[in-house]
Amino acid sequence: MALVDTLGPSMRRVARMYVSTDAVADEVVQDAWVGVLRGLDGFQGRSSLRTWIFRILVNIAKTQGQREARSVPFASLAGDDLGQPAWDPSAFRGPEEELAGHWISLPFDWRGLPEERAGGAETLRAIGAAIETLPPMQAEVIRLRDVLGWTSEEVRNALDLTETNQRVLLHRARAKVRRALEDHLRIVSEA
Amino acid sequence: MSVTDELACSEIVELVNGYLDGELPEDLRAAVEAHMARCDGCDAVLAQFRATVRLTGALTEEHLTPAQRDTLREAFRGWRAGP
Repeated sequence: MALVDTLGPSMRRVARMYVSTDAVADEVVQDAWVGVLRGLDGFQGRSSLRTWIFRILVNIAKTQGQREARSVPFASLAGDDLGQPAWDPSAFRGPEEELAGHWISLPFDWRGLPEERAGGAETLRAIGAAIETLPPMQAEVIRLRDVLGWTSEEVRNALDLTETNQRVLLHRARAKVRRALEDHLRIVSEA
Repeated sequence: MSVTDELACSEIVELVNGYLDGELPEDLRAAVEAHMARCDGCDAVLAQFRATVRLTGALTEEHLTPAQRDTLREAFRGWRAGP
């Protein structure tokens, strides 16, 4: 069943946010599929099928997490850096200076890099590694949005996020992946 | 002149993703575009985020499954330790 293969890895990661072990996460995913098959007749098509499947998954995972008496505060999933600026503030003129908030030195312009060097397998690995270091909810939002191409509405319904939270999580995730990409491409451009 | 004409580069970088995703209200979108047209730094930042989104979109599940590798590693350790 293609859907199981497509959604499986994401479902496992999302379940793992709420429960204590990989084995329990696998059980949650299996229970979710059972729930999907049982409920399929009642699926109204008001959301996309994959969003609906994730709602079932997240409900089961949260219930299981409560059963394990595992309290997972939102902040520990989302990361404690959501209020941080997307760019190092020292790159901009201070508030007391003329042209406050404008660039002191211009950012690295990597548009001149040849595509075969900038977009190669090593670059993709660097991006994948950067995503792995993100707090779990930031990582899952950028995976679903930018890797798998889900809409913001699908992602916030699937992961039970507010519109603002979804947007901030994606912004923060992209800011850090961009930073990692810049570090990687600096090395590439100097090689 | 509205207040959005006065956006600084440090504010533009916080709006770039909303701009890329088409989520900004019209006045902010126009202000960001006007700023980009005269600011090489912010234009480079826009290009960076655009490239970030595009390259992230080129990832496949093999770049994204540390958990499965961990499971393999555990299986390997278990195998070495013997029954």
